[in-house]
Amino acid sequence: MIHYILTSLCVLLLSFGLKAADPNGIIKGKVFDKTTQEPLAGVYVVYGKNLGTTTDQDGSYIIKTTEGKLKITFQFIGYESVTKDIVFKEVETIELNIGLEMKVREIDQIVISANKNEQKVAELTVSMDIIKTAFLSDNHITDAQELINKTPGIEVMDGQASIRGGSGFSYGVGSRVLALIDGLPVLSADAGNIKWQFLPLENLSQIEIIKGASSVLYGSSALNGIINFRTADASNIPVTQFFAETGIFGKPKNRNWIWWNTPRVFTSASFSHLQKIGRTDIGIGSNLLIDEGYRRLNGEKLARVSLRLKHFNSKVEGLSYGLNLNAGYTIKRDFVLWENADSGALKQNESATIKLHGDFLAINPYISLKKSDRYRHDLRMQIQSSRNRFPESEKNNSDAVSAFSEYQLWYRLFEFLDLTAGASENYSHVTSNFFGDHTGLNVAGFAQFEIRPLNRLKAVAGLRIENNSLDRKNDKVIPIFRAGLNWQAADYTFIRASFGQGYRYPSIAEKYAATTLGSVTIIPSPGIQPESGWSSEAGIKQGILLGKMRGQADFSLFMSQNKNMIEYFLAMYTDPDTGIPSTGFKATNIEQSRVYGGEMEFMMNGSIGNINTTISGGYTFIYPVEFNKVTNKNTGTYLKYRRKHSGKISLNGSWKKFESDLSLYAKSKILRIDDFFLSEVIGEAILPGFPGYWQKNNTAYYLIDGTIGYKLNSMLSLSFAVKNITNTEYMGRPGDIQPQRNFSLRLSGKF
Amino acid sequence: MKNLALLLIISGCFIVFACNKADKSERFKLLTGPIWTTDSLLANGTDASGTGGVLVKFKGDAKFKEDGSGYFGIYTGTWRFNVDETEITIVTDSLILPIISDIVELTSSSFKITTVVPDKVNPLQPINIRMTFKAR
Repeated sequence: MIHYILTSLCVLLLSFGLKAADPNGIIKGKVFDKTTQEPLAGVYVVYGKNLGTTTDQDGSYIIKTTEGKLKITFQFIGYESVTKDIVFKEVETIELNIGLEMKVREIDQIVISANKNEQKVAELTVSMDIIKTAFLSDNHITDAQELINKTPGIEVMDGQASIRGGSGFSYGVGSRVLALIDGLPVLSADAGNIKWQFLPLENLSQIEIIKGASSVLYGSSALNGIINFRTADASNIPVTQFFAETGIFGKPKNRNWIWWNTPRVFTSASFSHLQKIGRTDIGIGSNLLIDEGYRRLNGEKLARVSLRLKHFNSKVEGLSYGLNLNAGYTIKRDFVLWENADSGALKQNESATIKLHGDFLAINPYISLKKSDRYRHDLRMQIQSSRNRFPESEKNNSDAVSAFSEYQLWYRLFEFLDLTAGASENYSHVTSNFFGDHTGLNVAGFAQFEIRPLNRLKAVAGLRIENNSLDRKNDKVIPIFRAGLNWQAADYTFIRASFGQGYRYPSIAEKYAATTLGSVTIIPSPGIQPESGWSSEAGIKQGILLGKMRGQADFSLFMSQNKNMIEYFLAMYTDPDTGIPSTGFKATNIEQSRVYGGEMEFMMNGSIGNINTTISGGYTFIYPVEFNKVTNKNTGTYLKYRRKHSGKISLNGSWKKFESDLSLYAKSKILRIDDFFLSEVIGEAILPGFPGYWQKNNTAYYLIDGTIGYKLNSMLSLSFAVKNITNTEYMGRPGDIQPQRNFSLRLSGKF
Repeated sequence: MKNLALLLIISGCFIVFACNKADKSERFKLLTGPIWTTDSLLANGTDASGTGGVLVKFKGDAKFKEDGSGYFGIYTGTWRFNVDETEITIVTDSLILPIISDIVELTSSSFKITTVVPDKVNPLQPINIRMTFKAR
């Protein structure tokens, strides 16, 4: 009898064991907006430890599990999370449809760049803009530079980004805005510029922009802010996306400028795939571009690939490691000078142009250990190489390699106090006839405390100490400081104030570049000093609920001040190497700047009748002025290459299978440029016809872009875009006429 | 409301603190102190202060004011130190290009600079300039 009972018990236990090892059940269903009943795509369906999936285009999901009991959480940005407990009585399929209730959406977005830790955007102490990837596809944007230039308060002038007037134009070198991919810097080691064309726009989750000095956490070059391209995580459901696009440039308003017989064409294609295999996330992306260019001798061919691998260790909870790779190759000619204003504004001056063969490679291995609410250790590295080859002028070739590594600790010391601390180094080596051969080393340590003394009050204070050496000569050690406060005054009202110092060491190009391009001579400036400054702001973020329209508005007042800003200054100099005097441009610590301003941004989305609508926009006012650092008074002279007013408003709507987007951009005139461009002698010699053209055409302008799309089926859609609908003639930096009206057709898919 | 006031006070303090005046360096005091008068004005090694000389308009007094403005002979404009105060830049609307000069000597009684300027007739052809001043 006992034997029988034991045998029966063993069989019973074994059957339970077998049951536990087999898939016990399937849960499937749809997730939808509770108010509109619209399906929600991309909702995180999280269960178990580090397991999950996302809903597809129809809001559907499916989970296969071996667990008998399951806690499933449905999370979606801007919606209240819902958690359900499921118990399988036997092998079965359970249908679970979930309606999510919308919160005030934009205000709850999660960002990481401001404090190197996940936080709600409303709780930050600094201004941050978030660009969603839908903006890229809705507006047929294939280039990061164009994308950033369409953000309120930011102007990218021939590759040089300026946030709220914090930077002018210094011929493409020495960026005061730091570009990052997943928090790792991607400035070139030689020119200190952003290689816009190599920034991946595939497999992104969002782009985060901090407006203001961010050097405490990100170091030199974040003097004016940062732009962080964050890649997307994979889910259990593989996602593949692609697009193929072709377009043409129309005729410019000034018909005398037409130099082509057949329309100029641009074509691009992109592919990306994200998938989770077991405990490993895999992402691949690629992009191809052939742009004939609307200007003569200004075309580009570009190929870009990216790879993302991330593995979650099965034995150590919270341990993950992986490797990201970004690479690209380009053949192009940058536009430097026009032939003349009358008939040659879209023709490159042949004496100033040289063909570039450039490549870029960045490999980022990393390892992370985290316990969600207690601590996180991150160790990240980046090996980066960029090479510029000029077959027509080999003396301008340059190779730059850098090795960056950073350790960072986030630790919750107490329930009300968090510490973020770390150390980083960046070794760089440049081999070049253009700049000479140079080796640099930058080391830094930083610490930041975040304290929550009251329920709705948050304070941040941080310090960084950084040292830079070039060719074993040390610059002075720079300590900088930041502080900020955020107070949640009401459920959807957040008031913030912040102050942050910033600085930038001069790039190797600014110190040592020596070359001649046509009538432009660059003279080295080995004695150039680091530039420094600070920015401060007070702002309010307000969640808005107007009927079925929800969103946010953000108002801010800001001020920044910079000393010894580096600018290229045209004068007659004695070459420090040859001793021969010549007229040319030399990097000089010349500008003392103050920028005062205000900014308003808003975003609303919801339904108007049957049309899902998003309205967004912003307006930025700046008063950029030089000041005398001894008297501490403004001189009344405007800073160069700034505009007082800029604004944007976008309207996006979708109805059944149609989707449309209409954007209006407006900018006031450039307040001031380098005086020599307006000189009848020098201005005419560099840019024939420019002084007269500038007097007549430096005015405010507006642009209108429009897109209309149609969903062919659940996977494919077709869209048509017209940029610069009004065919406005406008200019960036002197001589840089911007694209006239152009048309593009895009076939895109997601499955 | 208390929190809001605290927030505004603290951010205001930061700005006031950060907007403080820069200290006047020793070289700044030396340059801005006296009125300078020209001692010699040489172009390519020969006197250029006479009638028709390229530096005739610099002849006379020069004052480098603390607010960055000044007069230099008959010219008026602005000035600023560069490169750790080893260079001085003089900008006036009357000249084609700013003058960026190396400071050879700066004491309480003597101020000497050298530079190159473009030839008015041929702007790409440089003229070597040396100007010396004495405190008045």
